[in-house]
Amino acid sequence: MATLAETFTPAAQPAVPHQVYSPMQLAWRKLRRNRAAVFGLVLLGALIAYIIVGSFVFSEEYANHNDLSLRLQGPSAEHPFGTDPIGRDILARTIYGGQISLLIGLASVAISLVVGVLVGAFAGYYGGTVDSVLMRFTEAVLNIPSLFLLIIAAKYAGDKIRNFELFGREFSGSLIVIILIIGLTSWMYLARIVRSEFLSLKEREYITAAHALGVKNLRIIFYHVLPNTTAPIIVAATLGVATAILSEAYISFLGLGVRAPTATWGNMLEDATRYIENAPHIWFFPGLLILITVLAINFVGDGLRDALDPRTLTH
Amino acid sequence: MTCLTQRQAIGAQVMGRFIIRRVLQAIPLLFVISVIVFVLIMNMGDPLTSFAGRNGLVKGKDRERLIRQLGLDQPIYVQYLVWLVGNDWMKIDSDGDGVAESNGTRLGVLRGDLGTSVVTRQPVLQMIWERLPNTLILMLTSEAVIVVFALGLGITSALKQYSLYDNVFTGLSFVGYSMPVPLLALGLIYIFGVYLKRAGLPYFPTVGMFEPSVGKTWEQVVWHLVLPVATLSIISIAAYSRFIRSNMLEVIGQDYIRTARAKGLANRTITLKHALKNAALPIVTLVGLDLGFLLAGALVTETIFSWPGMGRLFYDHALKSDLPVLMGVLMLISISVVFFQLLTDITYTFLDPRIRYQ
Amino acid sequence: MKRVFRKRNLVLGLLGVLVALVAACAPAAAPTAVPVAPTQAPAAPTQAPAPTQAPAPTNAPAPTTAPAPTQAPSTGGNKVITISYTQEANSLNPLYTNQWFTFNLFDFYLDNGLITFNDKNEPMPWIAKEIPTVENGGISADGKVITFHLRDDVKWSDGTPLTADDYVFTYQMIMSDKNTVTSRDPFDTVVASVEAKDPQTLVVTFKEPYAPWMTKIFSHLNASVALPKHILQPVFDKDGTLDNADWNRKPTVGVGPFLFKEWESGSHLTFEANPDFWLGRPKADQIFIRIVPDDSAQLAAIKAGDVDVGVFISPSDVPDLEKLGTVEIAKVQSGYKELWNFNLSTDDATKGHPALQDANVRRALVMAVDRNKIDQELLYGLTKPAVTFWDGMAQADPTIQPIKYDPEGAKKLLDDAGWKVGADGIREKDGVKLKLRYVTTTREVRQNTQAIVQQQWKEIGVDTELVNHPSDVFFNSYGDKGPIATGQYDIAEWSDAPNFPDPDTARWLCSEIPSDANPPGGNWEFLCDKELDALFQKQAQTVDANARTEIFHQIQKIIADKVYWVSIWDDPDLWTISKKTSNIKFSGATPFWNSYEWDKQ
Repeated sequence: MATLAETFTPAAQPAVPHQVYSPMQLAWRKLRRNRAAVFGLVLLGALIAYIIVGSFVFSEEYANHNDLSLRLQGPSAEHPFGTDPIGRDILARTIYGGQISLLIGLASVAISLVVGVLVGAFAGYYGGTVDSVLMRFTEAVLNIPSLFLLIIAAKYAGDKIRNFELFGREFSGSLIVIILIIGLTSWMYLARIVRSEFLSLKEREYITAAHALGVKNLRIIFYHVLPNTTAPIIVAATLGVATAILSEAYISFLGLGVRAPTATWGNMLEDATRYIENAPHIWFFPGLLILITVLAINFVGDGLRDALDPRTLTH
Repeated sequence: MTCLTQRQAIGAQVMGRFIIRRVLQAIPLLFVISVIVFVLIMNMGDPLTSFAGRNGLVKGKDRERLIRQLGLDQPIYVQYLVWLVGNDWMKIDSDGDGVAESNGTRLGVLRGDLGTSVVTRQPVLQMIWERLPNTLILMLTSEAVIVVFALGLGITSALKQYSLYDNVFTGLSFVGYSMPVPLLALGLIYIFGVYLKRAGLPYFPTVGMFEPSVGKTWEQVVWHLVLPVATLSIISIAAYSRFIRSNMLEVIGQDYIRTARAKGLANRTITLKHALKNAALPIVTLVGLDLGFLLAGALVTETIFSWPGMGRLFYDHALKSDLPVLMGVLMLISISVVFFQLLTDITYTFLDPRIRYQ
Repeated sequence: MKRVFRKRNLVLGLLGVLVALVAACAPAAAPTAVPVAPTQAPAAPTQAPAPTQAPAPTNAPAPTTAPAPTQAPSTGGNKVITISYTQEANSLNPLYTNQWFTFNLFDFYLDNGLITFNDKNEPMPWIAKEIPTVENGGISADGKVITFHLRDDVKWSDGTPLTADDYVFTYQMIMSDKNTVTSRDPFDTVVASVEAKDPQTLVVTFKEPYAPWMTKIFSHLNASVALPKHILQPVFDKDGTLDNADWNRKPTVGVGPFLFKEWESGSHLTFEANPDFWLGRPKADQIFIRIVPDDSAQLAAIKAGDVDVGVFISPSDVPDLEKLGTVEIAKVQSGYKELWNFNLSTDDATKGHPALQDANVRRALVMAVDRNKIDQELLYGLTKPAVTFWDGMAQADPTIQPIKYDPEGAKKLLDDAGWKVGADGIREKDGVKLKLRYVTTTREVRQNTQAIVQQQWKEIGVDTELVNHPSDVFFNSYGDKGPIATGQYDIAEWSDAPNFPDPDTARWLCSEIPSDANPPGGNWEFLCDKELDALFQKQAQTVDANARTEIFHQIQKIIADKVYWVSIWDDPDLWTISKKTSNIKFSGATPFWNSYEWDKQ
């Protein structure tokens, strides 16, 4: 569980009474007292352990091993989550699928962070025409239902990248496509948040001072203003991971997501409607893992929102 | 009295200008949307697959001819122009001899011609028109259920803050909010469709809008609505009620509510009259912004329950790269989103006198 | 959104809710009980468990005589035959559809193909009074002119007689540049002219002798049935095109056992019995096409007894349906076979894996896969691998032997061919790894087949890269950079058929190899075998049925010897027929050919 928690405590010192805390330390203390957030962190830690430790217990070869005589078997001691339509072990597949689902969540949020921060920062900082062009564009993309946009993008880019090998594992080229399109269709809210932060921050005295000292615009944007907008960005990015994982699940459920041979929790749900009656375990376990992951991230994200809220920071 | 009417008159004038400005702003917005979407859809797949037989192939000369006849050989900006303003004013080459000899027949979107589906050969407008009522039945019912339950749950849990009820509610709302639609929908089908049926109990239908043997009666539609509406509602109630709860908590903590209590007003009166009225304001925004997307339907839910709505229409035709249908659906949704945003803003200013349109 | 969450006292309530969820995570902590080693794949090849017989191949098309008019049956009550359709018709004008679902409907309201096919897929004279042959003078000695004598007792539903003029008009409409018709094949390539000598005599002149004319010239099979000239000529004269004719969606004037009554989009299509049908009034009173949104909706309707005929049943639903006892499953040969296409191109731009050039390597790949077991499990034993491309047809050569499952033999063949197992367990030769790019569509059963085959090939030391494309991308032509047409594969899997029930196909012609000079080419195997090519060209111009069958036997021997083509399973159409109905006999070619005989209790 510690893995994720540590990222919020760069200087993990024992808390001494009456010590002066940095804002980050204060936030961490607040987060620790938020039992829901801690619960979310524990849950998330357990999930990460599941997909990492699990991959040492089961080889990828085992996860891909099919045996038609074992097809569509319900949960048993040998296959705790049952088997899929060609007799593969679903438990092992959720482990490798989970790695990809989480990877998609994190990587696509990274992309939406870059785009969203750039668009928001430039729009908010420069204002005027830059602002109205960028924001009109943002608004236009926001007006298209996100799943519709994802479907179009997935169809558009779905076959453009070939399969590739990484660390001795073979991945479908569609993995990169899905990461890109989820990232490129989810930056709009972030851009708005960053823009409004920039709008208020750029009027501050220290920025005026920087201008007077002849500091270049780009330097002001990235060295002086941006670091002061990290709190809302962290919150939005955390919750964004949950949304991205759900997006992957939906687009894969619709058959336009990551393709074989790469398993994800989402594409394990594909064609599940065929098995509602006869083999509910096929969709139940991957679905449940998505639910738990999204739930944990939402708990943490909500806790972070509280913890990083400057209005309550001094409490 | 006179003073008031004058203020109202000025208000109406300002409001009028506000609306006009917003509408004018919407035009470039819709233009940008249409260009983005058009470019993406143009490159997303092969619409001619719809002309193929069972093995998916359009052979030889037919392919070249259809590409020419459907204008797919034109540069993308020409195709966009034709989509927008039609081609009845320009000469096109229909026999493939390289000489443009006759006028086209399309009028373009600006003149109300959304084009003809490549797949069904039907006017797009007509296809959308047929699906629209189905989507509205599903979405409006869900929206009503969502608002009623979210208000009820949100308010009661706010009034009983920190109680066991509140905690259970908050936990459940998080679960609902994090629920992937396929898991919820398939779970509901399994429990209320499959399991109840196996147990010999009355069960809910899980497919389509009505039983084929009975026909499309309203009883049938209501019966078939239960599970898809439950799917859509459970997830949104969770999000909405959390929002309502936090708004209520904020309002309850404010001075005027405390004053009301001090005056000795009954708790019930305070809740319903004062707190609710103010807490409900943000809900208007939320619902208003949602309404625009109503037309989009709920793609995943419609797919799972085989509900013949707009979301499914879009999905089915996206798989066949049917550009005219996709453009038609998306433009209609965009227009409705813009429209409801405007309506929401206006409603909001009526409900909350503190808001001024700038 | 505002802060919603209070941190104090919260976990209490949450824990109650989430205990179950945490419990579900438990295997993460202790997945000890699970075996680490993969279970052994079954070694012994399972025997194909005698599947029910596929429709027996019939002999050379024996022209049966035209059915004689029967007495009008007494109309006892309202007999409605309901058929479920998972795809809605697109246009009821045959010029504008290439959809199999719509094609079938012509047998009700536009039943004027010159020749039709019965449940044994044998040709029957229909509007043509007899099947033209060289002997009866219908086909000229050089094979280039075919004369059809039409029945004189056939009338459109408004009383206008159906004449040769209607067929000539249809030909004109197909060829008009003003109509965006779906297909002109073969009128734009092999037909020189279509003329009406008199109202009952239709003469079609070809540029070359054209053997597949029965399925291509004014046939239900390629939607070249006749349009009512007296209705549509005025529309064409007025609009300049038939693209927007009302008749396309409301073909109120028709000809056939049933007549169009109404079409409610997304719901149903109805056809009513035609009292003036030339073979007598049909036994059923109405045909009701129930449009269902998808397979699961169709399944529910069949189980509920709401439909009499279910279409395109998925093999996985058959066991459930058989348990019902109220329906029969009809397995109808439609010529389609799930197949492996090898990329045999040696051209740099489109070339496949060099190993595939060797027929023994191709044979080894087939021997390594237990196709019978795949068909038994994934397709519920409803089918088995086809032996030839023409299985179930008169032209199939019964002496061709199927390739047997024999992984050890496969290894030996590969060893002998010089592909030795390398250090990583993958075979290689001259520094080239035996890794094949196996491409198919995103259909579930194909993805599953891919995964199974990948594993079985791995066991003989052949590595695979699995790729899936959505079908609209997969089937794109060379000109549109389709992955198969441009040779971006080593092995491809899809379902294909000859010009069923005619044996003709262009898929192995040298002239059909796609290239920059020939972007629409359909020879996606890039195979140019001169001997085979000559035989294919010869059969297409051999009008004599027995001589043609003989050529096809030679073709099949070459294909089998060289392993140019392999089937994973024969792909018959599956239908359900309610036991309440009688006389429903499907043809694989024109399924509803005998709808006038359908009856219901």
